[in-house]
Amino acid sequence: MNLRWYHFLLWAAFAATLMLMPELVSKGTLRTMIFACYLAIFAVSWDLLSGRTGYISFGHPFLIGIGAYTTAILSKRFDVPLELSIPIAVVVTMIGGLIVLLPALRIKGSYFALVTLAYMELIYQLTQVVRPDLTGGTRGISGIETLTRGAVNGYYLAATLLIILTIFSWALMRTRIGTALWAIGMNEESVRGSGLSTTKLKCFAFLASAFVAGLGGAFYVHYLGSIAPRALFDINFLFTILVAVLIGGAGTIIGPVMGAFFLVFLLEWLRPWLPGAERYFIYGLIALVIYMYEPKGIIRIFSNLLGKLRGANK
Amino acid sequence: MTQIIIQGLLLSGLYALIAMGFMLIFSIGRVLNLAYGAYLMVGGYVYFWVSQQLGLPQIIGIAAATMMGVIMGLLKHRLIVKPLKGDHVAVEISTLILAVVMQAGVVLVFGDASKILLPIVPGVTQIEGAAVTYNILVAAIISWIIIIGLYVFVRNTYTGRAMQAVSMDEKGAAISGIDPDRVNLITWGISGGLGAVGGVFFASYTQLSPTMWVGPLIISVAIVIVGGIGSIMGTLIVAHIIGFLEVIVVAKLAPELRGVFTMLLIIFVLVLRPQGLFGREEAH
Repeated sequence: MNLRWYHFLLWAAFAATLMLMPELVSKGTLRTMIFACYLAIFAVSWDLLSGRTGYISFGHPFLIGIGAYTTAILSKRFDVPLELSIPIAVVVTMIGGLIVLLPALRIKGSYFALVTLAYMELIYQLTQVVRPDLTGGTRGISGIETLTRGAVNGYYLAATLLIILTIFSWALMRTRIGTALWAIGMNEESVRGSGLSTTKLKCFAFLASAFVAGLGGAFYVHYLGSIAPRALFDINFLFTILVAVLIGGAGTIIGPVMGAFFLVFLLEWLRPWLPGAERYFIYGLIALVIYMYEPKGIIRIFSNLLGKLRGANK
Repeated sequence: MTQIIIQGLLLSGLYALIAMGFMLIFSIGRVLNLAYGAYLMVGGYVYFWVSQQLGLPQIIGIAAATMMGVIMGLLKHRLIVKPLKGDHVAVEISTLILAVVMQAGVVLVFGDASKILLPIVPGVTQIEGAAVTYNILVAAIISWIIIIGLYVFVRNTYTGRAMQAVSMDEKGAAISGIDPDRVNLITWGISGGLGAVGGVFFASYTQLSPTMWVGPLIISVAIVIVGGIGSIMGTLIVAHIIGFLEVIVVAKLAPELRGVFTMLLIIFVLVLRPQGLFGREEAH
């Protein structure tokens, strides 16, 4: 694991900042932060898989949607208690992760990204047609039981979940398995050559990613209280997740969290000038410029700056 | 039955035109231009602005849309694809971001609401008892003219043959005195123009809306993936497979299932035969 004292310090500071927020900001900002927390969870989930192994998933909304829909249908249509429906949703999402894994055993790069995109479109169309009595068809499901009441409680739940999942993912990535996943992203053949089973490793990465996605999706739907296919299985949603990871810095776990908060607040600051979907114009341009300038994200820009400062001091 | 065949032929012609521009880029640079759908959207909107809001003749509208498409293609190659130096995944991600930026740009200029394009050629005719609008008939015929023109261009002109050479082996082409960078630039321009023209017809077939780029993008992806790299014929054949598949599903099963089989086709072909049904084998 190779832990250092400052790791504990930084994580404690991270958790404390998130937990102190309700004392510092207004209720309205808090609602924005709840969304940022969930987006950060989805971004971490994407990063666990694609940031490390280089298997770019364009179908992450597919996994999140499976988690969200499973628990929504179970609790709304079959009156399953939430304590049971959320774990079931996570398990179902992990099975979904295995479905996404199947093509990854044969193809990679652009082709893999496309298959996952096709998965997302497929499930988007299927949720509207197959058993609309369960999924609610195009209009989705509303009036789903919520876990918490009020912005403050909702925020504490989302922030706690985010802290646990980021620390879990971060710790996971510092184990030998995490290193092996890095290696897959760099050169899959040589990982196989060193006697490791890439199939098992990929399977692990997909399952871990699906676990985080399913948990995030399930809690998110029980925070929102409603769900609709176009809100979930949408290229714009995928874009938001991707951009959060890439702006923050792929493969770093904490980068995507920073990216998610940066983007959600950017969108909020733009709201007074551009109320509707036009905001994405500026948001996307900023994302594009950052991505073109430094594909490794803000976190790399910071560490480069830090390096320069240190160099200047010597 | 006749209805299905006629509808299928017309829709497939349109799909083939849309997929051509996407296929060219994919063959030559092996990159998926995920902002391709946005060419169609911008092409449609430029045509709408010139011919319906400014009231200029339709031919000027189509020409303006094509010009816009070519310019977008050239700019995209210079500003995004070239600086990223052939990193495929980076190009895909940045073109996806660009597509969303362009969508937001269209919302900024034209607003959120979808717009109906007046038919480019008004009127309806009867073919074998099936009602066919002149609009889609003309769209299909023009598609075929453009596709045949493209085929002749790629086969018989110096630039076209250079494009084929670069698509097969970039280094080899460079050794034979072809400038791959210039060929790439030309291809991005042609692809943008094709996309924008396709967008005008596609928008007159459906409607104009800021989210209209997703559908044709997915269809192009499907056609090119299933058809394989660098094959105009493959693209044409698969455009017909997918066009007919959709028409048959809509007529015989349920209109909502329209895209489901297309998606299943992509998944199965990609997993079982990643080089596509008609593509050539890749060396690596």
